[in-house]
Amino acid sequence: MLGFASLEVALSFWLTLAASGVCVVYGVVNWNKGGNGAPPRTED
Amino acid sequence: MLTKVVITVSYMLVVFYLGYRGWRDTKVATDYMLAGRRMNPFVMAMSYGATFISTSAIIGFGGVAGLFGMPLMWLTFLNIIVGVLFAMTVIGKRTRRMGLALDCLTFPELLGRRYDSRFAQGFSGFIVFLFVPAYGAAVLIGISRMIEVSLGLDFNVALVGFTLILALYVITGGLKAVMYTDAFQGAIMIVMMIILASFTYSKLGGVVDAHQTLSDMAHLMPAKLQKGGMLGWTQGIQPGTPIWLTVYTTIVYGVGVGVLAQPQLAVRFMTVASDRELNRAVLYGGLFILFLPGVPYIVGALSNAVFFEEFGKISIAMAGGNFDKIIPLYIEKIMPDWFSALFLMGMFAAAMSTLSSQYHVGGTSIGRDVFEKALRLTNGQTFKATQMGVAVTIFMTLIWAWVLPGGVIARATAFFFGLCGAAFLPAYFLGLYWKGMTRAGAVASIVGGFATSMLWLLFVHLKEAKAIGLSQALFGQVTLVADAAKGSWVWLLQWVDPNVVALPVSILLAVGISLVTKPLDEEHINLCWSKFES
Repeated sequence: MLGFASLEVALSFWLTLAASGVCVVYGVVNWNKGGNGAPPRTED
Repeated sequence: MLTKVVITVSYMLVVFYLGYRGWRDTKVATDYMLAGRRMNPFVMAMSYGATFISTSAIIGFGGVAGLFGMPLMWLTFLNIIVGVLFAMTVIGKRTRRMGLALDCLTFPELLGRRYDSRFAQGFSGFIVFLFVPAYGAAVLIGISRMIEVSLGLDFNVALVGFTLILALYVITGGLKAVMYTDAFQGAIMIVMMIILASFTYSKLGGVVDAHQTLSDMAHLMPAKLQKGGMLGWTQGIQPGTPIWLTVYTTIVYGVGVGVLAQPQLAVRFMTVASDRELNRAVLYGGLFILFLPGVPYIVGALSNAVFFEEFGKISIAMAGGNFDKIIPLYIEKIMPDWFSALFLMGMFAAAMSTLSSQYHVGGTSIGRDVFEKALRLTNGQTFKATQMGVAVTIFMTLIWAWVLPGGVIARATAFFFGLCGAAFLPAYFLGLYWKGMTRAGAVASIVGGFATSMLWLLFVHLKEAKAIGLSQALFGQVTLVADAAKGSWVWLLQWVDPNVVALPVSILLAVGISLVTKPLDEEHINLCWSKFES
């Protein structure tokens, strides 16, 4: 519980850390995926 | 004082250099409005985060955490999952691709071209232009007050000086200058937060001990707040009470979900070259949001324990009842002197990164989406029209900061978030995923969502209705449901965020009307979807 007095609050803390971790893992796993080069520069 | 001046001047020099870099690299309208669609993912993510988090998230919401405690962490959780992961992957990738297929340079233009509707673009652009300066004015007033207190400058001098500095690089350098400076400002904010969190936790004997100390203080929660539903700073809130509704609907739902359809954030998805950059930006963004706003919320809550140990008073008592003063007071009384000078720079960074993006998005909306369409300008004139638009937005923000009453200004952020969510989210999100969305459905959803949100804010939601006073003037009562039996669900509506009502209305209008109206040409839909495969 990390010193928090309710599950509601402890959960918010843990889930925030986990969510950030998910973003890091997502970024690492997909680091080189989806690259299709820069689009042609439009002159306007 | 000398340290503060030296730090401020050094900071401004770096900002000017980055603004100059942005100006130097800006040649065409795509550069000015979308940073050439070639932005680095790190810069994009830092800029997204720094724009997202303003001084009000640190000072204002940090102070709210001082009052209501840790349940605010749910907002950080939502900000990461919804505002970063969902936004960049589910929404961002398709926004980028559709924006490219339809050659869009602004968020309202994306809506307009997706639905082949000049009205959708013009109306959305007008909403953005109208409400961005009010939201900007709130940020501008906040930082000018801080300059007044910290550097001893006159408030009006601070207001105009700060505006001129921003005007210089936003008008000339466009989105490149905005994003380069944002990334630098974002980095400063992160460093501040790491120092703030480490210092606070170590002062209270470590992470678990700090939380435990705060948990043991539940009996010190003021009686008025206990009556409103507060159980303690780490104990949560009694469900169904006014405070519970305020925290979970306004703060968590309103701000957490409202972020998805904010034009100044959505436009950033179109600044990168491919999905790969968005994948990488998820990593940076997920970490950024953990620190900001995560740290101000934690420190805001823990400030109660620190103040109590040092002065025998909880935070709100220390701040004389004004929760906006909790974080500044904590910096002044608890943090070392050297930190307060750095913190001022952090606040400059937070305010400037948010304001520059607001000026830019308001200016491109009035320039590209309203002027250009109304005056039927050619593409070559867009650049100038947009620069003019940015100048007009900056001027309007300054005027709002001078003339609008303080109460209205303070509510401007909630207004802006509520309106964006209800007016734009269904037309935007469904437009990216559902080929059956029609022009009539989109227009009804944008106008209906906007109207419902406005009506709710003016006549039902207590904070805005009371600050604006229209309900009082027209009907003689502060809100339309103020007379309902105290404690009944009708009475409690006064604390329910407008998005809880206006967003479902907007979704129903979008889906319902699209199902019974003529779909858009297949050829047009194919064009919209043309970049989705690959």
